[in-house]
Amino acid sequence: MPVLEVERLTKRFGEVLAVDDLSFAVQPGEIFGFLGGNGAGKTTTLRMVLDIIRPSAGRIAVFGSAPDKRNAAAIGFLPEERGLYGHMSAIDTIIYFARLKGMDAGEARDRGLELLERFDLSDRATAKISDMSKGMAQKVQLATALVNRPELLMLDEPFSGLDPVNQGLLEDEILRASKRGAAVIFSTHVMQHAERLCDRLLLLRKGHKRFEGTLDEARATLPARIIAVAPRSIAAVAGVGHAEPVEDLGAGWHEWAITLAPDAEVGEVLERCTSTGVPLRRFEERRANLHDVFVSLVGTAEVQP
Amino acid sequence: MNRSSIMLVAGREFRQIAAMKSFWLTLLLVPIALALGPIVGQALDDDEATRVVVLDRSGGTARAAIVDRFEFEEDRYRLSALSRYVRRHGLEEADPQAPWAQHDRWYTAADVAAFRARGGMEAAIAALDAVKPEETASFEVPEPQYEFPEAPEALVSANDEQLDARVDALLDSEGDEEVATVVMIGRDYPADPTIRLWSNEQPSTGFVTVLQDVLTGDLRQRLLTGRGLSPQEAMAIQSAAPAIAVTTPPPGGGAREALLIRSIVPLALAYILMMSLMLSGSWMLQGSVEERSNKLLESLLACIRPEELMYGKLLGALAVGLSMILVWLGCAAVVAFATHGAIADMIRPALAPLTSPGIILAMIYFFLAGYIAISILFVAIGALADSMSEAQGYLMPVLLAILLPITLLLQAIVMGETGFLVQVLTWVPLWTPFAVLARLGAGIEMWEIVGAGVLLAGFVWLEIVFLGRLFRASLLSQGQKPGLKQLFERFRAAPE
Repeated sequence: MPVLEVERLTKRFGEVLAVDDLSFAVQPGEIFGFLGGNGAGKTTTLRMVLDIIRPSAGRIAVFGSAPDKRNAAAIGFLPEERGLYGHMSAIDTIIYFARLKGMDAGEARDRGLELLERFDLSDRATAKISDMSKGMAQKVQLATALVNRPELLMLDEPFSGLDPVNQGLLEDEILRASKRGAAVIFSTHVMQHAERLCDRLLLLRKGHKRFEGTLDEARATLPARIIAVAPRSIAAVAGVGHAEPVEDLGAGWHEWAITLAPDAEVGEVLERCTSTGVPLRRFEERRANLHDVFVSLVGTAEVQP
Repeated sequence: MNRSSIMLVAGREFRQIAAMKSFWLTLLLVPIALALGPIVGQALDDDEATRVVVLDRSGGTARAAIVDRFEFEEDRYRLSALSRYVRRHGLEEADPQAPWAQHDRWYTAADVAAFRARGGMEAAIAALDAVKPEETASFEVPEPQYEFPEAPEALVSANDEQLDARVDALLDSEGDEEVATVVMIGRDYPADPTIRLWSNEQPSTGFVTVLQDVLTGDLRQRLLTGRGLSPQEAMAIQSAAPAIAVTTPPPGGGAREALLIRSIVPLALAYILMMSLMLSGSWMLQGSVEERSNKLLESLLACIRPEELMYGKLLGALAVGLSMILVWLGCAAVVAFATHGAIADMIRPALAPLTSPGIILAMIYFFLAGYIAISILFVAIGALADSMSEAQGYLMPVLLAILLPITLLLQAIVMGETGFLVQVLTWVPLWTPFAVLARLGAGIEMWEIVGAGVLLAGFVWLEIVFLGRLFRASLLSQGQKPGLKQLFERFRAAPE
């Protein structure tokens, strides 16, 4: 049974269509990337899953039932806009949120201390949040999301504002949760994290789903490109759809950017070059990355390198 | 609705406010200020008698008449004060025939004479001590307002040229010999009725009125005897005056003092409700604004419902208010104990309303309902504002609307009025708790208590429904300053 199942979900704010007929499902242990630019509907969708706002139409099932605060004990959530009570200590903050999720105080303390130790903050457990650096406070907030060992972990733009070290720490925690069997959903518009972590991806544009599938499936949506150094005769090889000279290297040699014809395979084109005597100094397949897919499906304006 | 979540939120709210320095300052400053008030008042009170020198150069009886008259006024004042004390503690049985046991008239010269004939203040206190319960405080005899020392030799022997300089020297003297006023009756009095008066300060109207009254009487006595009337006939004409009978049926002026005393606890409760609401409301607002400005709400709403957050905040504010009141009442109890019952005895009549279970229930109900009714407004304002300055913008008109009529109301209750204003404020739910609490001591009809109570309960329910919607709809609308239209839409927004 999927941990989270969304069917034909729609959310309107007055005249604005924030989420448009969105469907997807996330399985236990799966890391699910929620990709889209600003205003794509990522946060709105997560808020509906958390029962903070209600959909205009469609159905959401969390652990098989409608969103309800009774599920809070099995959910961890890290919002995009982060903040904590400045006057509370790190450990008290973690315990407070754990107790709001139904944990008892003793267990919450033990798990909180364990997390702070893992995040290299054990010596700051009793320090006030207001006395901590922004990075430390963000780690404490991550601990509030993880303290209940959630079966569904939802992270809204979790990497924003983190330094590279803490980004690595967060990636480790996402992988750790997934290995434990938790379904992890995170929204981002930074493609590298999604490429490294996600089992499956969903690309949103203005509330509408543009793609859902694995990374390979995403790459396959764009034709492969070949970079070759060869004479002009390569353009006539069967399977080459379009060959564009990039640079004239002299003595009849050029660097070519080649787009294959539909249904043509890279290996077949290489074989034909050899069998027809087209000399090659370089033949390199360049597959589309997620950035290319994102730009192609969502648009250049909404991508962050 | 998850009760443990509400309690967790309430506990956190309470701890946050209790961690504020301003909370502890307020908690301690109020009893200190209340304790210091009477002490400072007493220190500022001029309880020393004003010394007046009367220089009678006419050689007649004018000085004696002045001194006698002021002594009479002092005795009448003491008699009135004693009468009020006897009435307050119901001690008439000590001597039912004594003037101080008769509360139905304005005391005349004959009453004062009877009071003196029965042994004056000493005899009265002895009679009262014989019957008054041990825990009842003794009567404190008011100090005399004026003293009339003999004119010093330097003044008596001064000629007309020296007089002003010597009077000035006398008025400048300090310490025990300090004189505030000098009155001189001239050698040719009453042929020349001019009376000179020197004073360091503007003499009080009361003093001048009595002085003029005495000297007028003296002049008229001389004129009447000069026209052939015997001194007795002249005195009889002078002292002819109507007898003023004073009837004060309860709850009018007659029992007003007793009713005012009965109103002390309800009025104090109304004041305390107002003070603790204003204080805890502003602290709660700070907490709400912090949650919004620190972007905490989404994390919270992922765990609990907006309603649970709202109820938790209300409960936290209520706990803060009640704990402040408990501390203040505890301080009062300690003071009452430390003063060996003297204060307890003073407030015993004030506690009379608390002997009725119905009144106690009404006090508790209106206090708690009032607290919730006003606190919800603060919670809603907290949900609307992103910063404390923005919150103040919403808060000020709300506070003015609540406080201004209440100030007028409490004054009206103290004055014993039950007119249009008091009636209106009793039936407008925003002010109902204050009006009913304040009126409980002076007397309010049962149907008014029940009717206003039901109306208040309905108002609180409507607040919870509509301000709850506003709270929920406003929580995540950060950075959006709602106009009137948006506010109205949020009120209308049914729970999603």
